[in-house]
Amino acid sequence: MLPHAADEAIRGLEEAGINFVSGLPDGWQRNVHELVEQNDTFRYAPACNEGVAFSMCAGAWLGGMKSALIMENSGIRVAAEYIARISLGTGVPVTMICSYRGDVGETEHWGVPHGIVAEPLLQALRIKFVVVRRVEELAQAIKRAKLLSEAQLHPAAVLVSGDCVWDDGAQK
Amino acid sequence: MALDRYEWLGRLAGGLTEDCLVMSTYIGAVSFEWAHHTDEHHRTAHLGQMGDVIGMALGLAIALPHRKVVCLDGDGSVLMELGQLVALGEHAPNNLVVFVADNGVYESIGWAEHGRRPTATSGQANLVAIAAGCGVPYTADVRTPEELESEIELAFGRNVCSFINVRTRPGNSRAQPRRTDGIEDKYRFVRYVEKLEDIWITGVPPQDIGLMTD
Repeated sequence: MLPHAADEAIRGLEEAGINFVSGLPDGWQRNVHELVEQNDTFRYAPACNEGVAFSMCAGAWLGGMKSALIMENSGIRVAAEYIARISLGTGVPVTMICSYRGDVGETEHWGVPHGIVAEPLLQALRIKFVVVRRVEELAQAIKRAKLLSEAQLHPAAVLVSGDCVWDDGAQK
Repeated sequence: MALDRYEWLGRLAGGLTEDCLVMSTYIGAVSFEWAHHTDEHHRTAHLGQMGDVIGMALGLAIALPHRKVVCLDGDGSVLMELGQLVALGEHAPNNLVVFVADNGVYESIGWAEHGRRPTATSGQANLVAIAAGCGVPYTADVRTPEELESEIELAFGRNVCSFINVRTRPGNSRAQPRRTDGIEDKYRFVRYVEKLEDIWITGVPPQDIGLMTD
């Protein structure tokens, strides 16, 4: 993310009461991972794939922590197996902050399939989500996703794109 | 040599300390027999499924570092998501001990025409070597009752992240299938932890009420 967007993501996580973060760093959110790791508010426990990260988030919630999973939207596919088993099967909340690769404005060909699959897959997993393209909306969206997640005991997601990751809106 | 699953789970159940928590498989022989031995005690979360049991136990152990966490898994489940062992080695919480019933077959799917279907541990895969290679601080390959007794005693007597693979004879569950589903299992485990730790897991805790009106 752009630096001021990453700061807003951290503010949102802090104010949401998140204290456990797992996930897998990606090109857009690597600085968010760094900020989380450096922040004593969070217990940061990354994994080598998003499925394991989701399982860890679920386990941490069962132990009383408030969990967030930070990953690229391609990771939704990897985590889908465990989201279905754990959250559809037993009702465990996790707040998911996902880079929205393949969104309008994408310049990388490999990001396109991530954008095609993400929203239908979230819908299949019954995960409500909000797409955030403006930095000033990011912290609030994270807080609201966390509230919904805890209320429904099921994940909720924030897909991040637009002005949060591009500084000119048209990637010169 | 391999051990009888029902018997060794019973020995492990007898060795549990009063204040520990357990993350177990959700369905299948290990879960059924463990529930039988522990009389469905609510300290066990029967919530893990194929490929996520160790990951969930790892999160639980990190969340509650002062409390011993025991994980019960099977070889087929571990093999489905070996990335869990990478995370186990990377984070290695001192309070987590993983026991794996390694019988080399997919027990819970029943019998095929020519017998049980083998897992990769019946061939070349060695879970202990993989766990050690992932950096898990302590690993053991248990094949005898004496080794099992020693590992159970060590598991609760020391403070080091451990992966204990128990070579187990194939065999159908000697306990009846459990009656509860994942929802009920979750709530009873969560209520137990809330009481044990004096914490609030479900619902909106008082400190978050302000978030609802911003």
